[in-house]
Amino acid sequence: MNEQEKKKYLDEYKKEKEKGVPFFPDIIFKDTIAALLIFIILAALAYFVGAPLEARANPADTTYTPRPEWYFLFLFQALKYFPGKLEVIGAMVLPGLLILLLILLPFIDRSPKRHFLNRPFASISAFVVVAGILYLTIASVREAPPPQEAIVVDKAAALYAANCANCHGPSIDVPVGTDLHQVIAAGTHEGMPAWGGDLGTDEIDALAGFILSPNGSAVFTKYCAVCHEQPLVASGNPVELQRVFDEGVNYPSHEGIEAANWAESLTDTELNGLLNFLAAPDGQRLFVINCSGCHGQAVGYNGTEEELTELITKGGQHLDMPAWKGTLSEKDMDALTSYVVDPAQNSGGATLFGQHCASCHGNKVPKAPDKESAIKIISSGGAHITMPVWGDILTVEQLDALVQYTFAASKGGGPAAGANLFAENCSDCHGKSGQGGLNPSRHGDIIAPISSSEYLKTRDDATIRNIISFGQPDFGMSPFGAENGGALDDEQLDAVVAFIRNWESNPPAEAPAANAEVQPETPAAPSPNLTSLTGAQLFTIACARCHGPAGEGDVGPAFNTKEFQSKLDDQALFDMISYSRAGTDMIAWTDKLSKSQIELLIQYIRTLDPNYAASLTYSGRVSAILEANCNTCHNPEKLRGGWDSTSYQSLMTSGDNAPAVIPGNAANSLLARSILGQGSQMPPIGSLSQSDIQVILDWIAAGAPEN
Amino acid sequence: MDKSEGKQLGRRNFMKVAIASIGGVIGAAIGLPAIPYIMGPALQKESDDWIQLGSISKVELNIPTLFKKTIETQTGWIDTEEEISAYVLTSNGQDYVVMSNVCTHLACRVRWIPEQDSFFCPCHNGVFAKDGAVVAGPPPRPLDRFESKVEDGVIFIKRG
Amino acid sequence: MLAKIGDWLDERFSWREVWAAIFERKVPHVNWFYTLGSATLFVAINQAITGILLTLYYVPTPDHAYDSVVYITTQLPFGWLIRGLHHWGASAMVVLTVLHLLRVFYFGAYKYPREATWITGIILLLIVIGFGFTGYLLPWDQKSFWATTVGTQIIGLAPFVGDWMLRIARGGRDISAVTLARFFGTHVWILPATLAALVGIHLYLVIRIGITGVPKKDE
Repeated sequence: MNEQEKKKYLDEYKKEKEKGVPFFPDIIFKDTIAALLIFIILAALAYFVGAPLEARANPADTTYTPRPEWYFLFLFQALKYFPGKLEVIGAMVLPGLLILLLILLPFIDRSPKRHFLNRPFASISAFVVVAGILYLTIASVREAPPPQEAIVVDKAAALYAANCANCHGPSIDVPVGTDLHQVIAAGTHEGMPAWGGDLGTDEIDALAGFILSPNGSAVFTKYCAVCHEQPLVASGNPVELQRVFDEGVNYPSHEGIEAANWAESLTDTELNGLLNFLAAPDGQRLFVINCSGCHGQAVGYNGTEEELTELITKGGQHLDMPAWKGTLSEKDMDALTSYVVDPAQNSGGATLFGQHCASCHGNKVPKAPDKESAIKIISSGGAHITMPVWGDILTVEQLDALVQYTFAASKGGGPAAGANLFAENCSDCHGKSGQGGLNPSRHGDIIAPISSSEYLKTRDDATIRNIISFGQPDFGMSPFGAENGGALDDEQLDAVVAFIRNWESNPPAEAPAANAEVQPETPAAPSPNLTSLTGAQLFTIACARCHGPAGEGDVGPAFNTKEFQSKLDDQALFDMISYSRAGTDMIAWTDKLSKSQIELLIQYIRTLDPNYAASLTYSGRVSAILEANCNTCHNPEKLRGGWDSTSYQSLMTSGDNAPAVIPGNAANSLLARSILGQGSQMPPIGSLSQSDIQVILDWIAAGAPEN
Repeated sequence: MDKSEGKQLGRRNFMKVAIASIGGVIGAAIGLPAIPYIMGPALQKESDDWIQLGSISKVELNIPTLFKKTIETQTGWIDTEEEISAYVLTSNGQDYVVMSNVCTHLACRVRWIPEQDSFFCPCHNGVFAKDGAVVAGPPPRPLDRFESKVEDGVIFIKRG
Repeated sequence: MLAKIGDWLDERFSWREVWAAIFERKVPHVNWFYTLGSATLFVAINQAITGILLTLYYVPTPDHAYDSVVYITTQLPFGWLIRGLHHWGASAMVVLTVLHLLRVFYFGAYKYPREATWITGIILLLIVIGFGFTGYLLPWDQKSFWATTVGTQIIGLAPFVGDWMLRIARGGRDISAVTLARFFGTHVWILPATLAALVGIHLYLVIRIGITGVPKKDE
C-alpha cells in the first residue's frame, strides 16, 4: 500500500463516516442487544447445564483419561498425527507458526484489497485453517473414550481391611453357627481385642456379614450402596429384607426406584449372598433378631435336630396361649393388662408377667395398643401368634446357623460341658462352686473365691482363659491348657470359661459353710487305709525309713536341725515331698499321698524343729499368723467382736467374750474353737492352714507365752 | 426532512432507553444474586434435623447397644466430621432410651462393660449404671440423653 | 440538580469532551458482525465480575480448592450462577475472540491504518487462551488436574529448553500445590493486568482510528 492508496482509503473512510451513524446510541444499541443475547445464553447454560465438576483431583489415579478443555482439543488431536519425535512439530512448531503468521499478517498482506472475494488466497487459506481446526475438534470429541463410571467403595471390605486383615489375612473360615457378632464385639480369643468399644453395632454387623459373605458385600456395594450408606446397612432383619424383595418397587421406601425389582434383576446367587451379608448367618444373632422377640432369650426344646429344622423351616401356628380368664384374679388381670399396655408406667404387673407369661414370651413384653384389647387377648388365649415360615425367608446358611445355635442352646451347650470339666479339673482346689479354700500347694495361702461377682467383673474371658491355660505357677496352679502341657484343649478351655462366666448371671447356690470344705476331696485319693492317719503316723510309714524314726536323718537328711527347718519354707517342703528329687531315691509322693496328707506331714515335720517348742510364743510364731489372718478385722479401728489381735496385751484381754485365750486350755479358748470351726468359723474367708492351726493350739496349750 | 429527523430522534431516544434498560437488566441479573452470594454464609442456620441412628432390631433387651453415626458439620467447605456415638437401651422393646457416651465429668468417652453391667469412663474412673445414673466417681450428673423417636423400626435422635 | 452536578464535574473533568469523543463520534454503517468485539468485551467484564466474586470463597490450595469450589457451587445462594457464568463465559470468550478475529480478517480490517489494533488483538487472543489454561486447573478436580498434566507436558516438548520451561510452568517436576498457586496468581493478577492494559490500547486504537465500514465488492 503506497502513500497514494493510503490517502485514498482515508478519504473514502472519512466520507463513509460522515454518512454513518453516531456511535451512541446506534452502535451501542446493537452491542447491547448482542450482549443481552450472550448473557441469556450464558445464564441458561449455567442454569441448565451448570459448571461441571468431577471428582477431586487424585494424582495417584492412573486410570483417568486426561482430556483438555474443548478449545484445546484440536491441538490435542493434532498431536496424534505427529508420532514420536515429530510430536514437537504438532505441539509447538505449527501453533507457533500460526500465531506468528497472525501477528505478521498486516505486513505480509499489504495489498489495498479489502473485500474477501478480492483476496481469494488469504480467504481460502483462512477457511482451510478454520475448517481444519473444526475437523480436528470434532474428530477428537468423537474419539473420546466413554466417561468412566463412578467407583463406589465397598466399605465393609475397607472396614475388614483396616481392622481384621492384619491378623486374619484376606478371609476367615468361620464354622457354621459361630456367634460372629459376639466374637468381634467381645474379642474372644487370645490377642484379639474386644472391638465392641471401638466399632458401632452396625459396623460389627457389616463386618460379620462381610466375613461370612464377601460376595454379598460386593453385591450390596454395586446395587444398594448408591442409596444406602454402608456400613449402616439397610436392615439386618430377614423378614424386612424378604419384604423388600417380594414387594419390589411397591416396597414403601423403594417406591419410584426403577431398579428396585431386585428379585428379578439379581441372580439367585447374588440374592443369597446379599441376604447372607445383610443378616449374617450367625446363629445367636439370628435368634436375637428373629426369635427372641417371642421366645425371649432362650428356648426349651426336647426334639431332635431334624425336627427342629423342620419346625423352624415350616413355621406356622405353634403357640397356643391358654385362656387366662379363670386362672387370674380380676385384680391380677388388671395389673397385668395395664403392664402390657404401658410397662414403664405400670411396673406392678412385672411380677405377674414374670410368673405367668415370661416362660413363653421371654422378657419381651408383647405390645398391646390399649387395655381392652389386652384383656381380650389375655382372657381368651388361643393361637394368637403365628410363627413365620422361616424356610421362605432365611437362606440355607442362615437356617443352618439358626438351627445349630437353637439346638445347642436348648441342650444347654457350652456351660453344661464346662461344668463337668470344672468338676474334674478345678473343684479340688477351687471348690465345687468356685468358692475357694486352702491352697493345697502353698501353705498358709487361701484361694479366694472365683465365683464372686467381684472376681468375675474384673476379669474378662480372655484373662480367665489365660489363667487356666498357663496356670499360675507362683500360686501353685499348674497349666491346664493342652498347649502348655495340660489336659484341656481349646474347646474345653472355652467351655470351662463359659461355665465360670455363667456364675456371674447365675451365682452358685450359697456355698456350704467353708469349714465343711476345708479339705476338698481329691479324686486322686490315696489308698483308703492311709486316709485317716495322723501326721505322726504318716511320717512313720512314709519318711522314717530314710529320714529316721524321729527325723534324725539316715539315708536322707535330718529334719531335727535348725538348718533344715530354716532352709525350707512350707512351700519348698511341699514341693520337695510332692515331686521326686533328681539324684536321690526320694519318690514323688503325690502318687501315694493326697495334698492334705502331705500338709499333715509338713505340719508334723515342723514339730521336729528343735526350736519348735521355743518358738511357740506370741512374738515367735503367733503374732505373724495373727497379723496375716486376723488383724485386718480385729484391730483397734474395726474391733470386730470387740477383739483386738494386734498386740499380746489386747489379744489376751479384749473381746466381747473375753478372754479369747485361756492359757493352757486350748479346748475352751474361743480363739482355738473359732479357728477349728467350732461355733463361728474364723477367718470367715476360709480356714487357716493345718500347721498354723497346730501352732496356735500348741501355743495355747503351752500357756500362751508372750516371749 | 423535519419529519424524518423527528422520527430519527424518536428512534434514538428509544434506543437510549433500551440500552439503559437492557444494561440495567444485565446488571441486576449479576448484581442482585451477588448480594445473597456474598451474604450467604452469614445467613445459614444450624440444622435441627432428626439424625438416623440405625435399626432397632440390633438392640437387645437390657443391653446398651452402641450406635455410631458420623454427621458432618460444615464451616464453609471445611467438613468437620463429627461422630455421634450413642448407647441405645430398651427394657421392654417398646421404649428406647438413647444415651450419649460422653462422660458428664470431663467429656471422655464412656464404654459399656458388659461384665460389670455398667458404663466405665477410663479418664477418672467414673462409673454409670445401665440407665446412665452415676454409680461411682466424679461425674456430676447422669449420662446425657438424646431426644429420640422410633419410626418403622429405625431409631432417630435429635442433638440437644 | 443532576445537570448542575454534571456541570460542576465537567468544569473539572471535561467529561463531556471525552464523552463526545468516544460516544458521539460518527461511525460508518455496519452490520451485526460488528458486535462481536463489544460482545467479547462484555464477556470479559462478566468474567472479571464473576471472577472477583469467586475469589471471595475460592482457596487455591490442593486441600481446599476442590472443597471450596463445591461449596460455592452447592452451598452458596446463586453460587451455581456465579460459577456457571464464569465457566461458560470462559468458553464464550474463546469463541467470541476467534469469531471477532475472523470477522476482522474477512472484512480486511487488519489493514492500514489498523495494523497495531490487529497485533494487540492477536496478543489479547493469546491472553484469553492463557486465562483458559490457567483457570482450568483451579477447581482441582480430576479433569482439571489431568488436563493440566497433559497441557504442561506439551510445553516440555519444546527443543532444548522444554524441560526447563516445564519446570517453570509447574513450579517443580509435578503438578503440585506450587502449580496451583502460580496458576491462580497468573489467572487473577498477571493475566488480568496485562489484559486490562492491552484492552485499553486496543480500544484507544479503535476509537482513535474508527471502525472500518463493510468493504464494498470493488474494495
